[in-house]
Amino acid sequence: MPSWEDFKPFIVTGLALGGVYALSGVGTVVLYRATGVLNLAFGAVGAMGAFISWSLIDRGTVPDGIAFLICILFGGVVTLAYGLAFGPPLAGRDPLVKATATLGLALIMLGAMSWIWSDKARSLNLPTTNSSFEVGDVLVNWTQVIAFALGVAVAAGTAAFLRFTNVGTAMRALASDREITATLGVPVLRVEAIAWLFSGLLAGASGLLLANLIGLDAATLTFLFISSLAATLIARLRSISVTLIAAIVVGLVSALVTPILEISQYRDMAPFVLATIALLWLSRHREISFARRAG
Amino acid sequence: MRARLGTGDGVRLGVIAALLLFCLLGLPGMLSTYWIDVLTLVAIYSVVALGLNVLMGRVGLVSLGQIAVLALGAWIAARLSFATGLPFPIVLLLSGVLTMVLGTVIGLPALRLSGLYLALITLMLAGTITVVLTATNFPNGGSGFLGYTDTDQGGTAMRRPSIAETDPAFYRYTVVVAAVLFLVALWHVRSKPGRAWAAIRQSEPAALAAGVNTTLYKLWAFALASFLAGVAGGLLAGSVGKLFTFQFSTRESILLLAVVLMGGIYSLWGALVAGAFMKLLPALLDDWGLPADLLTILFGVGILQVLLTAPGGLAQQFPRDMAKLGRALGRLFGRGSPAQEAAK
Amino acid sequence: MRKFFGWERLRPTVALLALMVGLSMLVAACGDDDDEGSAGGGAQTTAAPKPAANASKCGLGNGKKAAGAPIKLGAIATKQPGTDFTDIPNTAKAYFDCVNDNGGINGRPIAYRIETEQTDPGQNASLARKLIESEKVLGVVGNTSIIECAVNHKYYEQKGVYMIGSGIAPACYGTPNIAAVNMGPRYSSVGATQALIRQGVKKLVFDQSNVPGTGYISEGVEVVAKDAGVDVVHLKENVPIQDANSVALKAVQQAGDGGGVVLNFTPPEALKILQAAQRQGLQNRVKWGCSTPCNTDFLADALGSAWDDKLFVNAELNVTDHDGPDSTLYRDVLKKYAPKVPLGSFSQMGFVEGRIAVDALLKVKGDYTFESVNEAFKNMEGFKTDILCKPWYFGDGPTHVPNNTDWTTTPKGGKMVIKEDCFPISDKDPGIATVRKWEQENLGA
Repeated sequence: MPSWEDFKPFIVTGLALGGVYALSGVGTVVLYRATGVLNLAFGAVGAMGAFISWSLIDRGTVPDGIAFLICILFGGVVTLAYGLAFGPPLAGRDPLVKATATLGLALIMLGAMSWIWSDKARSLNLPTTNSSFEVGDVLVNWTQVIAFALGVAVAAGTAAFLRFTNVGTAMRALASDREITATLGVPVLRVEAIAWLFSGLLAGASGLLLANLIGLDAATLTFLFISSLAATLIARLRSISVTLIAAIVVGLVSALVTPILEISQYRDMAPFVLATIALLWLSRHREISFARRAG
Repeated sequence: MRARLGTGDGVRLGVIAALLLFCLLGLPGMLSTYWIDVLTLVAIYSVVALGLNVLMGRVGLVSLGQIAVLALGAWIAARLSFATGLPFPIVLLLSGVLTMVLGTVIGLPALRLSGLYLALITLMLAGTITVVLTATNFPNGGSGFLGYTDTDQGGTAMRRPSIAETDPAFYRYTVVVAAVLFLVALWHVRSKPGRAWAAIRQSEPAALAAGVNTTLYKLWAFALASFLAGVAGGLLAGSVGKLFTFQFSTRESILLLAVVLMGGIYSLWGALVAGAFMKLLPALLDDWGLPADLLTILFGVGILQVLLTAPGGLAQQFPRDMAKLGRALGRLFGRGSPAQEAAK
Repeated sequence: MRKFFGWERLRPTVALLALMVGLSMLVAACGDDDDEGSAGGGAQTTAAPKPAANASKCGLGNGKKAAGAPIKLGAIATKQPGTDFTDIPNTAKAYFDCVNDNGGINGRPIAYRIETEQTDPGQNASLARKLIESEKVLGVVGNTSIIECAVNHKYYEQKGVYMIGSGIAPACYGTPNIAAVNMGPRYSSVGATQALIRQGVKKLVFDQSNVPGTGYISEGVEVVAKDAGVDVVHLKENVPIQDANSVALKAVQQAGDGGGVVLNFTPPEALKILQAAQRQGLQNRVKWGCSTPCNTDFLADALGSAWDDKLFVNAELNVTDHDGPDSTLYRDVLKKYAPKVPLGSFSQMGFVEGRIAVDALLKVKGDYTFESVNEAFKNMEGFKTDILCKPWYFGDGPTHVPNNTDWTTTPKGGKMVIKEDCFPISDKDPGIATVRKWEQENLGA
């Protein structure tokens, strides 16, 4: 069993991983709160944007900054297009159906990525990764800080937005019951479009940051997304702040298991196990049914 | 609604029997070993898809863990086969039953959830099983509980039934077992569990109010799906001999969901179509020199298409499209409806 | 309701498809296939039609196009998301194309069929049968798959196939009918271990990807390190790695200051760990070694200058810009016949496998049959090339590790350069000892 000294630096890596999970998880729940759609293609869209960025930088077609911007915009455009094309037809269906449809988009993205970019060692370098500061024994770089901060900012900002602004209220109403909201005169399509666009931009930004922090390959970024779903599950897809906290806890637990050599190879299980336990515990008394009405 | 017996049903039964005989006796002679192996996999994965088909189409539950359960079944079958000298059919039955028990035990607490939560938690459970299997690997003749050995001779292959050692013989064996399992599923659908499931899918609260023990029947559905996956796992282990965790990834679970949807969840035939999509299409694409990624993209489009326009999937859509085509052809060749003729 | 096959509802699908197609075209136009990037070096002249004067020749090298009944060969390679080994048989094919343009095999062309598999044992088994029984290939060369050797070696023994390939699974080295041009993860990791021991590490961590065969692979490292008095901690990581920071930290902690870490991963995974170590400031606390997959310019480029001269990579094959005759031909063949395949150990292996096959085929006297071709493959001996340290052979031994002498390379300026010249892999590893003994008894000095 490692000593406390040995554990300490893993707290740092755990927080870094938690920040990454938080960014992904919060981005997903945010769209869910606003449109009732759990976008399972969030990770894949971001990954594809990152690959496009990489290609542009590798070819030297555009300056690095523009390439990064294109990644973010790609996320926004694709997600918005999906939302506009497939949002309304599926709007009245079960959330499960809506989520499954996004799996379709995810498969398309994954297939396209695998086709266009073969499996090689690629690296996406953000300038902020080169500057770092020391925390205890290890260095922490600014990209990690940005990822973490972005997750927190989005969580706080969206919570406030949804609660206090008119558009935010309209979004919550929409997620709850689209038809009634429409009859109340809310410009449903426009509000939805805003939600989709914002979520897409966030997917692009996450893809960029994650590609730099975790690695630029489709399989990794997909797995990462599934692990971050664990955090959203613990929050029962409802509370953005719980998602944030759950993500950090999941990251910490995963990292802290790592130095314990006997169970180290099971560390990837941590998000899944935590989500399962949490969900079963939270639902022990009542039946959580997931009907058309969200939340 | 009275059940229509007589010529309609009789003809259908006759056609199915003829097709089955053709698959068993005619096909092996016509195809090379490679394609026989592919068809064996199609049969096996049809059974896996059948489990998901019943869960989704009859009960309205989505499980993203069916491939993980398949892996469990394969592990159990391999372990039993290496540890004991039991005959192959017993191994199949045992692996089906044990997997059913495991699947039910794991599924029981999750049944309190429904819809999206259930799907997501099965995804989590599948992830857990995958990580555990990566650590334990599959039995290959080694000793100890895990039965796994790490040598440079590559381990031993799981034995096949003595009456079905060759690939074509094992193919026939698999088709027969698959047909039996389809009948088992059909029996379920046509009798009491099927009616209970229909009530639950319609409206769970209403079913509860009507006195249906929803928990029991949901559990039954999970048990059936797990049993099917367990037996399929045994067949898979026997078919390929050596198993690796790569075949049972999360991506496979998502692909299974896609093909089951595309095949159609409201008819058991959809499971057969799903099996063909999953294992026959990649082989065909490879034969034609097309990349496998094309299939991933097509499946993605397929999910969207099915959810938007044809919830019944191909199994429902195909007969309808054929009927439409038939009508169109009829009009083309002038054999229009009496009304049209009268209008001339 | 006059919806023609539900056209209105199909609109979204069509819209999405159109978007995808549009995006793909955009990407394809401005920056998709990254292979010609920096890996091959900046200013390369456009493909010269004839190989340079001091390059080897493709086969007979007479510039005549081969014609007539083709000699069929086949290969199986893994190609799935996350793993793509098709570069190897694709390079063999490039060489065969060159040979077909230069007189073929005594006038006849080679027809090469490459099958791809997705780590499905059933698929692997049926593909082998497809190649041999349906396609009726005369020989199997260029196989590179995570599981193919394990699945098919018994079938090869049954049928009398002598397969020349790139080995990954242990069964590619421990069975009688398969011989690889590379060394495989076990012996390559031993080579990296030897390099780090020479650097004076006090304790070793051997970290590898958690795929079947880890016990077999770490055995070699354990035995060789123990013999040198160095303790080894064995670690395994599930791939793809999501938390490289923790993985790198764990490895460095276990090695302790002044220790060494040997990695056995595919390049993208190794890259994650190495970058994580460097970004966290752990790089200089230990010495870093890597088995042969790291020997690729792509990795050197992605790592950047922070890793110059700091990574000890075991290299089963020479560096790609070596100026020997075979290496020069290799670069020329790649440029002309397979421009999308990057320079690196994968394409080198494919090239060497192709050359060995052609060499063997040219030696066949009489008819080209399944038996005569496989006999020729088996009898291959003393195949010299500047891409390998020692001459290659197949032979009828029970196990095959014909490539058991290696270089050590290190990244420098975006490329891999030689750091240590050819040295034999330690025969403290029993697998190597067996092979050396067989060599002494059966091959000429």
